[in-house]
Amino acid sequence: MTLFRSKDAHSGELMLDHRASPGIPAAKAEAMGLDPSLVREGKVAHLRTLGCCHCGGVWIENPLRTRPRNHCIKCDRYLCDACAAVTKEPGYTHRSFQELADMIRSGKFELTGGDLRRPVLTRSVKDG
Amino acid sequence: MAKRIFTLLGQTFTAQAVTANLTNATYGAIKGGSATQLTDILEVSVNGMATASTVAAMCLARASTIEAGAVTALASPNSDGAMHPASAALAAPPVTFVAAATNGPQASAVTTDPKLQFSLNLFGGIERWNASPTQQMSMLGNTAALFGELILFNSSTGGGSSGLCNAHMIYEPY
Repeated sequence: MTLFRSKDAHSGELMLDHRASPGIPAAKAEAMGLDPSLVREGKVAHLRTLGCCHCGGVWIENPLRTRPRNHCIKCDRYLCDACAAVTKEPGYTHRSFQELADMIRSGKFELTGGDLRRPVLTRSVKDG
Repeated sequence: MAKRIFTLLGQTFTAQAVTANLTNATYGAIKGGSATQLTDILEVSVNGMATASTVAAMCLARASTIEAGAVTALASPNSDGAMHPASAALAAPPVTFVAAATNGPQASAVTTDPKLQFSLNLFGGIERWNASPTQQMSMLGNTAALFGELILFNSSTGGGSSGLCNAHMIYEPY
């Protein structure tokens, strides 16, 4: 039997509590990308956060997004837009953040260029 | 390994721009304890202590340039310790700090680097972010290239104003 897991089960939560506070003025909230009705005086906002399985970053979900949310079928997790764009580059090698961390922590590889999205890995000399 | 809490008490988070060398005692930073250490950030909480309305654009951002000069050891009332009393001492614990000898770290301005934004009014406002398992903010090593340092700061770039608050970060090094 295949067990299907909802990706919603992996979302974090950001709580902004302004019950005892004047809150964020509407114009400023909009400038900050927040719904003014959620952060005004007397309100508690509960926002969903998602994590990227390739770079280890976290972002606040935009519930009004209409573009497809990026997803890695190998990891079965959401991807941030930046990592999703990298996966479409020629010669891309799939590595989750955990796999990359394991490689570097093993001592057999060193990051000698790039970053976590486009890592340039070199086999450690001591590993022969 | 063992979860730890990095706590900042009664600190004025001065609003500063991304890529600026952050001023001492206006931010909180965590850096990996070794070149290969993996650290997960599990919770960030900010409690406003301002005495007048002050909207802060608190951000948890990766460092694009780590601090210059030696890191200054935490001083009371700030603290960093294991949550469980029986936790074994780490050989290379992550470095938590609010000051460095020469320059503070710089928050990344790279558009593809994620920043968690915790905008709130520090006059009575409370923020708490909890990561779900496997969805935590992660850092690897102790260099900017590996995203090895994270900074909690108040972003003037994001429209924040300087204000007093208490904050903590729960993290777990491996």
